[in-house]
Amino acid sequence: MGTQEISDWSSQLKRGVLELCILQLLREEPSYGYEIVTTLDALGPLAAGENTVYPLLRRLKADGVLETFLRESPNGPPRQYYRLTADGRKRLTALSKEWQAMATAVDECLRKGDSK
Amino acid sequence: MTSNNPLVERYLGHFFDLLVHLDMAERKEVVAEIRHHIDDATAAGRPIDEVLQALGPVEALARAYQLELLVKPRATTAAQPRSDRWLKIIGLLAIGSLPSFIIIVTLGSIGLSFTVAGIAVIMASIAEQSGTLPVWMTMAVEPWVGIVLGVLMTLLGILCSWGTVAYLRFVLRLVRRIVPAKEAQG
Repeated sequence: MGTQEISDWSSQLKRGVLELCILQLLREEPSYGYEIVTTLDALGPLAAGENTVYPLLRRLKADGVLETFLRESPNGPPRQYYRLTADGRKRLTALSKEWQAMATAVDECLRKGDSK
Repeated sequence: MTSNNPLVERYLGHFFDLLVHLDMAERKEVVAEIRHHIDDATAAGRPIDEVLQALGPVEALARAYQLELLVKPRATTAAQPRSDRWLKIIGLLAIGSLPSFIIIVTLGSIGLSFTVAGIAVIMASIAEQSGTLPVWMTMAVEPWVGIVLGVLMTLLGILCSWGTVAYLRFVLRLVRRIVPAKEAQG
């Protein structure tokens, strides 16, 4: 498997997980685009690039799981913050559960292969 | 602040132009957000070229938004089942055919006949005025009244003809919307 194929596979995998991670990042407190992008970047494999994260944030807003509000910024005009809606919290709970089940199953699957 | 950097302005201006599929409020928010991103990134010490390069080509960025925001509506407008399509065609014919018949026949015949008759009256009035009206024709009104009447009739005729065409276009659009062409489905 070439490097390109691996990176394609990993970006496919990331597509779904990224949504869960963004919701989780916003669980405790609202945040804005740049902060979300840099937090994800710092997490290595989850680095998605701004051209993925910003459009995704808008889609989550269109879906009604996130909402935006303006907050004063020390750097330029008021900044757009994102926070979870009630629907967003429900979705976060559902997606985390789904992810836990998936991760456990994948782990188990990999262990089965190893023991042979 | 990088707001007056020509490179950034050109990037954001082009980006704004490409976001035609978003409504105006959303469009402005999206561009403001990317502007803020550029400001934040440069304030953190990253060179402007690198920041724009990381955002990628404007076209790709705009397409990413389009894809994310169109995924949902496209998924919900699945192709219509065939039976539903025929039901709609029958419904359209049942409701629309009689009124359409009356409107097209009435407007169409008034349009054609008034246009032709109006022009004939104008020509006859001009002939009467210049004394070249054939002997077997008589004018009951003064030539100027004839010209005014003729012009009014022609205008009414043209208006009705235009109305017929406009109605036909309207019906065609309506049919297209309710029963989309096969190629447009899915």
